[in-house]
Amino acid sequence: MKLLVSWLRDFVDLRQPVAEVASTLSMCGFEVAGIEADEVIDFEITANRPDCLSVAGLAREAATAFDVPLRLPWADPAGHSVTSGARAVPTPSRIDGERISVSIEAPDLCPRYAAALAEVTIGPSPDWLAARLTAAGVRPINNVVDVTNYVLLEIGHPLHAFDLERLDGRRLCARRARPGERIRTLDGEARALDPEMLVIADGSSAQAVAGVMGGAASEVWSGTRVIALESAYFKPASVRRTSKRLGLKSEASTRFERGTDINVPVVALERACSLLERIGAGRPVGAPIDVYPAPRGPVDLTLRRERIDWLLGVGVDDGEVARILTGLGFAVTGVPGGWRVSVPTRRVDVLREADLIEEVARHFGYDKVPSHFPPLRAVAPRPDPRMARKALVRHVLAAAGFSEAVSWTFIDAADAAPFAGPGEAPVPLAYPLSEKFAVLRPSLLPGLVDGVAHNRRHQIRDVRLFEVGASFSAAEGERHRVAFALTGAGVMEHWGGGMRPADFFDAVGVVERLGEALALPLRFADSTASCLVPGRAAAVSVGETTVGAVGLLVPAESERRGLPGGDEIFVAELDLDAIDRLAPIADTEVRALPRFPSIVRDISVVIDERLRSQQVRETIQRVAPATLVGMREFDRYKGQGIPEGRYSLSLRLTFRASDRTLTDADVQEAMERIMAALATEHGAIQR
Amino acid sequence: MPEAADIDRLRAEFEAALAGAATEPTLREVRDRYLARKGGVIAALMKAVSGAAPADRPVLGKLANQFKHDVEEAIEARRASLESGRPAADSVDVTLPGRQAPLGHLHPLTLVRQQIESIFSRMGYEILEGPEVEDDYHNFEALNMPPEHPARDMQDTFFLANPVPQTGLGTPGTRTSTRPAPPDRPATLLRTHTSAMQIRYMEAHEPPVRIVAIGKVFRRDNPDLTHTPMFHQFEGLLVDDGVTFADLKGTLTAFVREIFAPDTKVMFRPSFFPYTEPSAEMFIGCVFCAGAGCPVCKRTGWLEILGSGMVHPSVLEAVGYDAERYSGFAFGTGIERVAMLKYGVDDIRLFYENDLRFLEQFSF
Repeated sequence: MKLLVSWLRDFVDLRQPVAEVASTLSMCGFEVAGIEADEVIDFEITANRPDCLSVAGLAREAATAFDVPLRLPWADPAGHSVTSGARAVPTPSRIDGERISVSIEAPDLCPRYAAALAEVTIGPSPDWLAARLTAAGVRPINNVVDVTNYVLLEIGHPLHAFDLERLDGRRLCARRARPGERIRTLDGEARALDPEMLVIADGSSAQAVAGVMGGAASEVWSGTRVIALESAYFKPASVRRTSKRLGLKSEASTRFERGTDINVPVVALERACSLLERIGAGRPVGAPIDVYPAPRGPVDLTLRRERIDWLLGVGVDDGEVARILTGLGFAVTGVPGGWRVSVPTRRVDVLREADLIEEVARHFGYDKVPSHFPPLRAVAPRPDPRMARKALVRHVLAAAGFSEAVSWTFIDAADAAPFAGPGEAPVPLAYPLSEKFAVLRPSLLPGLVDGVAHNRRHQIRDVRLFEVGASFSAAEGERHRVAFALTGAGVMEHWGGGMRPADFFDAVGVVERLGEALALPLRFADSTASCLVPGRAAAVSVGETTVGAVGLLVPAESERRGLPGGDEIFVAELDLDAIDRLAPIADTEVRALPRFPSIVRDISVVIDERLRSQQVRETIQRVAPATLVGMREFDRYKGQGIPEGRYSLSLRLTFRASDRTLTDADVQEAMERIMAALATEHGAIQR
Repeated sequence: MPEAADIDRLRAEFEAALAGAATEPTLREVRDRYLARKGGVIAALMKAVSGAAPADRPVLGKLANQFKHDVEEAIEARRASLESGRPAADSVDVTLPGRQAPLGHLHPLTLVRQQIESIFSRMGYEILEGPEVEDDYHNFEALNMPPEHPARDMQDTFFLANPVPQTGLGTPGTRTSTRPAPPDRPATLLRTHTSAMQIRYMEAHEPPVRIVAIGKVFRRDNPDLTHTPMFHQFEGLLVDDGVTFADLKGTLTAFVREIFAPDTKVMFRPSFFPYTEPSAEMFIGCVFCAGAGCPVCKRTGWLEILGSGMVHPSVLEAVGYDAERYSGFAFGTGIERVAMLKYGVDDIRLFYENDLRFLEQFSF
């Protein structure tokens, strides 16, 4: 809302400079977006204050803020007794040979409709009027349209002028649009209407989309002789719905959808007619017609004195409370313990006591409220253990060299598809911003692949990224996951050598590290996940529950996302929700340190190349005595000396008893048992 | 025949030679030259002294012996010193860079979030996350935004094409409310603020309530320097007996003075949020120009940092609280906003590009 300060000074005797007016009103809740040419203040008016989308509304605020009288050139409609419906005759009335009939067919959408006729001579507005409109950001068109805009800016009530002679049957009716009805609006667009929309129709067709925009067919033009001025109250929700559905916003719709003053329409008509006369554009014909079947008056609220202190933490002087509320146009009467406050109908935002306290606080000054720290009466509940687990995951991955990524929750459907579960489609948004943001991510991996591609495009070869966040599926809703992507060096380049590219086992190592940190016994098995290269892909599970996967991203997918063809991207993703259910977070229980020495034995076996080391380990574990306390593969060899289709696997086994020193004989017996089991179950040959 | 002066000359020569013997091989050379039994300087001297006139011999002999002793001692001392300072056979260039395991960096939004969580944890708040997909009731209606409410435009919403089950709830603490749990509604939209979580918490808990809900939120904004359709927010809520606007001011002032600087200037200004009454926007003295006026603060010296207000009685009533007895305050802002001000980030989109050159500037 652009406020021309000289216009404001018509109504309030302010000597303060423009900058001070701006800063004072800003401290009352009217944000200043800018000051133009030291005469126009551009305010951002919050959605709850449609009454301040007007010079009069801001004048009322300024008068209260500066404690000066407000002089409006029209009677305050809030003080008026509400006009009875008696004048509101929906029958034709003949005035000076011109007549207009007004009716409301949809009182639920249009509780009040007033109209006035005026004889006019269309021409340009006088300079002072055109200049005021221009300063307020409204383009002058002709004297009649300009007067309606002037009143809109001044009182905040939208008016519309029809060319009476272009209205079929000289009648206006507020009714729902008929199915299939169309209208060409003033902006030249043909628009399809639906019966949820309110229109202003003449005898045959819609002439305006009520509260949003007039129609071209009855537009005022250079030859217009008589106008019908509309001044109505339309239900905010109806105008908002219509404006949204048509994708059409106007100065009028902005005000109607936030709520105009139901008691101001006739005042606005009278103001418009007097302006028409004043600028010599025309003269009113007869009195306005007002259809207002269920008049509404001000609402009374009670403001309790003690509740001001109770809510604000500071008491406000009685006289100051009354001064502020009266200044803002509330009628205030003292009652025991406080005040009875009559709320004018323009204040659509003031509905209960707290709203009145805000009015007092705004003008009392937020800066005069003291600062205080509230007493802590109870211990905060224990934090959610899942958040601690996420923090742990973040730290483990950062310590493993991965930087944390945050990527979009909504992604391209094509990017999402390869990562959705089997037979599942990603969750689409109803009206996405663009194709790029069309579906909710089924996995964190597409975003990480984008992150890798971004860095590769910027000449960064070694990329390690992780993300912790939610993913979505139609069947399961929201799932929290952790994922990482790794490309480039497995061991970093160093002048001392040792650099090597990352491989599958670098990725597995990181997953193992996560498992260790989360105290989860992870198992790996061949995976057939469609986004991973077979033979370089493992499903990760805990017991029988699959919790994720790790492997080499299929090259087709990395190339499609703009990565160089030769790049190997290793990825992994774990389902944190599944892990949460598996592993309640428990305190560590310390095992006593060993008191007896251990014995280490290496074993090398030649086995079938299809046999997984996991199976070998499980067999050993099963047959070994409890004194087997450690087992680790330390070599895997294939080639000379090993038959085709087989490989040699070497494991280092550590034995230790907790109650005695093991003898060679103990260990020898165990080794023989292990070797025998490997031979019978896997056809293993000791090497 | 040698004279005392000759011995002095030899001594001077020796000292010069020793000074030049900085390594073991050169020291060995010096030793051989002076102490070799055959042809060594000392041996020659002794021989010469023995051939000297008998009258001179005792004096010369004493001088020569002293010289010999000094040479032996000096060479031994130098040898010991060279040995202790001897570089290992495999000596290295100690200025070469070390071998490093790669170190990752936490995202700046995580770092700011950790600080926020720590500050409010110390003030006794429980930190909550909550679902990113929400139903209309929790995102809007219970927050005093019925259908067609104009404030819904303030945070234009992403709706799902089809509802999905609400599974992102988890267990926000033990239920203390004896009121029946509201029925589960399928999620139909991406939450536009974390306030929805406050409603869920209040539905399950009786006052006192002290919570901070934190996480991703979504609004229909096309990406530009200061907007993205997804961002992170934190919102706090305190409901108890006798909570006032003064408590709100004190709490938020303490917060900004901890997350920014201890002498941060603050200002509160009336504003509008449907779920608070009165509502306030909080400003801090511009962190870039210290209030002098710069392009970031649009020459006002102030930066908007938090939206806040006293919880609207309708919101308290919607969750079954007695609005006559209880009052509370709520506040919230974008984590990106805080991070941009703290770290001097001028383009919000940097937070989502995952560019390592950006991420690596932040700590671990």
